[in-house]
Amino acid sequence: MAPKKKEEPKAAAAPKPPEPERPKTPVFDPATVTLEFTPEQIEDFKDSFQLFDTTPTNEMKITYAQCGDLIRALGQNPTNTEIMNVLGKPKVEDMHTKMLDFDQFLPMHQHICKAKDCGTYEDFVEGLRVFDKEGNGTVMGAELRHVLATLGEKMREDEVDQLMQNQEDANGCINYEAFVKYIMAS
Amino acid sequence: MQKEFPVFSLLNSALNTISAALLIQRWYRQHVARLEMRRRCTWNIFQSIEYAGEQDQIKLYNYFGFLMDHFTPASSERNLISHIFRKNEICLDTEWERYFCYKSIEVTKSYTGPHLTFPVTFCGVSKLVEAFKHKEQLHARYVLQLLGETWRLLRTFPNISHVIACHTKPITICGDLHGHLEDLLLIFYKNGLPSSDKPYVFNGDFVDRGKNSLEILLTLFGFLLVYPNDVHLNRGNHEDHIVNLRYGFTKEVLGKYSVHGKKILKLLQMIFSWLPLATVIDNKVLIVHGGISDTTDLDKIARVDRQKYASALRPPKMKSDSYLESKTTETDLDEWKQVMDVLWSDPMPQNGCIPNEVRGGGCYWGPDVTEEVLRRNNLQLLIRSHECKQDGYEFCHNRRVITIFSASNYYEVGSNRGAFIRMGPDLVPHFIQYQASTTCRELTLRQSVGWTERSALQALREQLFVHRSDLISAFQEFDPNNKGMISVTHWASTTERVLNLGLPWRVLRPQLVSSTQRGMMDYQQWIKELSITEPKLEISDNSILDTMYKNHSNLETIFRIIDTDHSGLISFKEFHQTWELLRSHLKTEISAKAIADLAQSIDFNKDGSIDINEFLEAFRLVDISAHN
Repeated sequence: MAPKKKEEPKAAAAPKPPEPERPKTPVFDPATVTLEFTPEQIEDFKDSFQLFDTTPTNEMKITYAQCGDLIRALGQNPTNTEIMNVLGKPKVEDMHTKMLDFDQFLPMHQHICKAKDCGTYEDFVEGLRVFDKEGNGTVMGAELRHVLATLGEKMREDEVDQLMQNQEDANGCINYEAFVKYIMAS
Repeated sequence: MQKEFPVFSLLNSALNTISAALLIQRWYRQHVARLEMRRRCTWNIFQSIEYAGEQDQIKLYNYFGFLMDHFTPASSERNLISHIFRKNEICLDTEWERYFCYKSIEVTKSYTGPHLTFPVTFCGVSKLVEAFKHKEQLHARYVLQLLGETWRLLRTFPNISHVIACHTKPITICGDLHGHLEDLLLIFYKNGLPSSDKPYVFNGDFVDRGKNSLEILLTLFGFLLVYPNDVHLNRGNHEDHIVNLRYGFTKEVLGKYSVHGKKILKLLQMIFSWLPLATVIDNKVLIVHGGISDTTDLDKIARVDRQKYASALRPPKMKSDSYLESKTTETDLDEWKQVMDVLWSDPMPQNGCIPNEVRGGGCYWGPDVTEEVLRRNNLQLLIRSHECKQDGYEFCHNRRVITIFSASNYYEVGSNRGAFIRMGPDLVPHFIQYQASTTCRELTLRQSVGWTERSALQALREQLFVHRSDLISAFQEFDPNNKGMISVTHWASTTERVLNLGLPWRVLRPQLVSSTQRGMMDYQQWIKELSITEPKLEISDNSILDTMYKNHSNLETIFRIIDTDHSGLISFKEFHQTWELLRSHLKTEISAKAIADLAQSIDFNKDGSIDINEFLEAFRLVDISAHN
């Protein structure tokens, strides 16, 4: 992946709490997106798309709910809000029933790829340093759990458990540089 | 980063915290999505290899059917296999009783395994389960006696069992077990043994693949005999003696019971055909092993003569010479389809009903068919098994269909959990999941994905190796100047064309191909790097070797069919006939001399007969990278 620019601290104001959207968010229009992928990349995406296609006749369609997972599996890490945005803010009940095909998927993926930078190893470490009260390279597991479950795009308890599995030491602390390396190594 | 004004500093700190949280959450979600992608890939590999094997088997069997239908006096092949098509010979039950008589089999003082008294009691069967837990083996006399009692009992059962749900006795429903005794023991541990207070439904596929299929059967039959009104067994597509030849059950029985194995297998063949086809709870919940089709008719299923379908893989031809023959054949075909659909079908997300070409039998049915069949039969829920699910169970078709699968670690340690259902009179299913084996509890999600993935890739490399000559010729079509290089795009499309597994080759490429240069790869080198070694045998003819590897399972099936007395040995003549059968099925050229040479070289003890197991072992592929 090409190195991304460091995120400006002020840009942190953009993430909204997961409550009703503000009206000034622009509606996503796939027609405005120019595709810049190479043919090789498109072939790779097609293969991955097919992996998520569960129709036995291989219609090359996936559900709306799978779209976010696919974009992430291809290496991007958008927020849930960004995903709902490119999907055109569908209703919750539509997520598992509405389908999209590969041609509809491409502009969504392209938009996410072009969108604001997703953060590097340094960004991540910087982010975690916020919780490093003693400045010694570790954060309290319990505090991190609390934050992840209550702030931002909240994670469920089982998701937090999975994330933190085997990461805390005997004192309940996490060495965050090692933690970041671990997360980024998948 | 310290601001001068305390208000700003507070706000900034809060924003930093949120932004940090968001960053971690985004990364976490990406991490999970990528793991999910790998897991899906791995799953695809295992499943497509598994289903390709099933399809292969059915093709072979259809070929046999073709031979049988095109009888000519000179066709020796037909005689070779005709005995497998002979229906349960029209013998009187008394004649069978004599054949299966256990009374002459003596239990000597040197026998240290469990004893069984008849009629069986709860105590007796629980002790049997304990013995199996300690890896003891039940004496052949008791096996035959137990199976004989089971056979007699099953003949009194209707095709469809009806159960009433009751407050004090929730019903437990289990899916495929496939010889995984540890999973059955885990279920009993978590849920209790079957009894009149604890009714159970076991939804088929008790045997094949796992190592303890027989112990599972003996356990289930034992409880069935003690509580015939509270233990319900549905037949699965693996309760079929032809399928068993390929997938390990036959081998397991013959390995454990060298003297009486053949009788045990014959008795089991009859028991399987007498297993009920469905269970219905409160006239509202239908439980069948595979599923349904748009023509599924419970009244018809209730009326069929189910024991006619000893192996569901082919419609039985009626030996009638009257003018009624064509009529009975039609009804036969209709009934056969009803049975096949119930044992082999899979659900699909879209509406409609199409033949299940992947498995080779039954249908793919859609949510509209579910609605219609449930409505027509006044039902509200369909519970089926037949497909492995990562979490042990899965809903589909607007939660009107449940797949329940009880064999954990089915593809590999850590590949999936098993589950069972508990259901009370409200008919709301409650799921209990589990995973056998102590090692996988300690694995993180990523570790268990990695482990399973390694195993899947190994299986895939074997498949690639086995098809290497076809692959190389196909690659060469895109390499007219013989440079040994091919583009990644051509590699992916060609590999799919040759292997026909429906796999995402481009996604798999980084794990199968070590290096590419500017979108090109060296295919000859790649084949070498698959690092599968062939056993060292003095075989001059390479084409036989290739055929051998590609048709390993087919050969095994044919051998075991030909070995009518289940001795594990076949003569040179029979060996030759096997290859003849295979050759005509595959329509390839294999010279008689090559076969004769092969026979000589594998007659390891030079006694003029070939040990099937030794032969198959000698040709087992070894993945040397697996030893790293």
